[in-house]
Amino acid sequence: MSTQEPAPLTGPGSQEAFSPATPGPEPGEREILRRRVADRLGTGTIALPLLPQVASQVLALTSQPKVDALQLSNLIHRDPALAGQVLRIANSPAYMPSMPIVSLQQAVARLGMETVTEIVLAASLQSGTFKVPGYEGALKRLWRHGLASGLFAKEIARLLRSNVESAFLCGLLHAVGKPALLQVVADAQRDRTREQAGRGAVTDEVLRELLAEFHTGVGLRIATSWALPQAVVNAIAFHAAFETASANRREAAVACLADLFACELDEPQPSFEADIRRQPVVAELNLYPDDIAQLLAKRPAVARTVESMTL
Amino acid sequence: MTELRRCDVLVIGSGPAGQKAAIQAVKAGRTVVLIEHERAVGGACVHRGTIPSKTLRESAAQATRLARDAAIWGVSPRAGIEVSSLMARLDQVVSAHAHYMGRQIDRNGIERHHGRARFVSPETVEMTTVAGERSLFTADVIVVATGSRPRNPPEIPIDHENVLDSDSILSMLYLPASLTVLGGGVIASEYASIFAALGVKVTMIDRADRPLKFMDGELVAKFVEAFQRAGGTYIGEQTLGGVAFDGVSKVLTTLSDGRVVESDKMLVALGRAANVDELNLGAAGLAANARGLLAVDEHCRTANPRVYAVGDVVGPPSLAATAMEQGRRAARHALGLGEGAGTETIPIGIYTIPEMASVGLSEDEAKKRAGAALVGRARFDEVARGQISGITDGLLKLVADGTGRKLLGVHIVGEGATELVHVGQMALLGQMSVDAFVENIFNFPTLAEAYRVAALDIVAKRPA
Repeated sequence: MSTQEPAPLTGPGSQEAFSPATPGPEPGEREILRRRVADRLGTGTIALPLLPQVASQVLALTSQPKVDALQLSNLIHRDPALAGQVLRIANSPAYMPSMPIVSLQQAVARLGMETVTEIVLAASLQSGTFKVPGYEGALKRLWRHGLASGLFAKEIARLLRSNVESAFLCGLLHAVGKPALLQVVADAQRDRTREQAGRGAVTDEVLRELLAEFHTGVGLRIATSWALPQAVVNAIAFHAAFETASANRREAAVACLADLFACELDEPQPSFEADIRRQPVVAELNLYPDDIAQLLAKRPAVARTVESMTL
Repeated sequence: MTELRRCDVLVIGSGPAGQKAAIQAVKAGRTVVLIEHERAVGGACVHRGTIPSKTLRESAAQATRLARDAAIWGVSPRAGIEVSSLMARLDQVVSAHAHYMGRQIDRNGIERHHGRARFVSPETVEMTTVAGERSLFTADVIVVATGSRPRNPPEIPIDHENVLDSDSILSMLYLPASLTVLGGGVIASEYASIFAALGVKVTMIDRADRPLKFMDGELVAKFVEAFQRAGGTYIGEQTLGGVAFDGVSKVLTTLSDGRVVESDKMLVALGRAANVDELNLGAAGLAANARGLLAVDEHCRTANPRVYAVGDVVGPPSLAATAMEQGRRAARHALGLGEGAGTETIPIGIYTIPEMASVGLSEDEAKKRAGAALVGRARFDEVARGQISGITDGLLKLVADGTGRKLLGVHIVGEGATELVHVGQMALLGQMSVDAFVENIFNFPTLAEAYRVAALDIVAKRPA
């Protein structure tokens, strides 16, 4: 994060069980699994898994006689993966947008509600098969974390008099590689388990290591394939090392701080209020104690929004 | 207990005004401490104002040129440009400029601190760092140069998402299809013309019948003409009935005549507010005036003789060049060095597309002061360089006294105006006659030739 030594703040889901409690792989197995994941990432297309309930909710919503475009936009916002898929498809040659569509609001405005609904359904159907058995909880936590990061990024941007829309996307998608990686890890694990007759399930520790090692690379591949704006690409690439960003350093730093606030929302930490003020990213963004106090005061509102938007 | 640190001059703010005050003081052999609220030096000018908006303008001007010459090169401008790609050089430009300014401050031996400053007594300032650490400073002279930020009228719901100000518009991800600009001043006009040049459907709304009321009417007419050619619309003499986001995709602006203007985004550019809130002015025996500014005398001295204020914090003209001069003069006066003769020939440069620049008296001012005035005009399409460079919508006006001999003012609209005006500025400072432009030789072909054409126009109009 920085050359300074910040107080330790835990990462998303670090204390939570990511996978079923089964005996972990032996050290040699860990490396084999790691290589398998790396190999899988080296080939093939990565698809983001989607929460299947969204498709049914969209269907339910659009079957109503009077459908509100804002309701649709809000529904899609509940699921970062779906939001990402909608943006990717909305930007595909099939829809030929006159300029990049980077927000759902823009997608609804430009393409119309019906088209966006079609996109949502198509995206849901295409990705509906990407379930990660045994990792549902982890997946849900990752989405919640992404959503919370997006919401905190908006608040940080507002405080900095910076564009809120771009900050939300940067926060929402800064770790978009993780859910995609879960599927890859699960697939690699499944193959290995088959070979090893059931031995070596992925422990939380190994999963965390793999997510930490590979998620940025996966996230960047997704960002590239979706042709996301450069600011979002750089937030994904540099949120954990904003000081090395040659462009969009501020966006990367906003995503970094939003990530820390979202982590605390996942796992409340008693010393957070004191620790956060000492984080190098706080100095980077030039946030004074009263600014941080304003952000801390936003936590209950963000938590409520995350709760209401979580399926 | 916090130690009280002493210096000769304490400067609060490192924008153009504060920086020049600090450098002037240190060059006079004084110890100087500079407190800057932001991480990097330079103030809003470098980080949120002049430099970033001019970088965007440069991209827009290039886009305009590209569109004009597209047929020659067999290319067509790309649709759907990301704002960030237009600002690709911004990080580099800002960082280089801030680095240069930082080095200049350090090289001159100015002690630099990063923190927020507030008065705790008429001669003492407390600084709080980002980490919450506090220090106290006292000085014989305190220069307040804390700058300004966009003014957010309470009745307009600026959310930095759909309704933006001149800070947040620079971090917009994509170009909106349409943009409403509230205001008719410099910032509003600059951004309106920049976004119009980039293909955005821009509607400017203001109380005045035309934008930039303080500029020569003929220049502004040319600007409005170019703005409208680029697809822009100016709606004048209107007050706001209300601004609201429709909850889906449009910002709705209701005008006093009942019309409703719809746009994807809105830029609110209704002036700037001085950064005085955090200064605890009362402790220094000061207060902001009704306009939220610090009142100063002709030496930039406040009601507290120890405290000077310079730059945007004292209000118009809010130009970086003027702020620098205010900083220099304030420091010199405070240190008893003599400020030198004041000058009325401060140029104004407006980075609209096309640019506008002005120095000296306008035609109306000249008539009021001198009783009569003669005006010479040169259109850029009459000048070879204008034709060669495709800069044909420019106009240069020379304003002379009633005899047509004494030069009183220079007003220019057209690409290069902000550079070209300095020729006229030097002529005014040197009290040169209009004939100097006729009798001397300029490079050919250059836009400076317009001076000669305009001067000849005046010569032809001289009373017999």
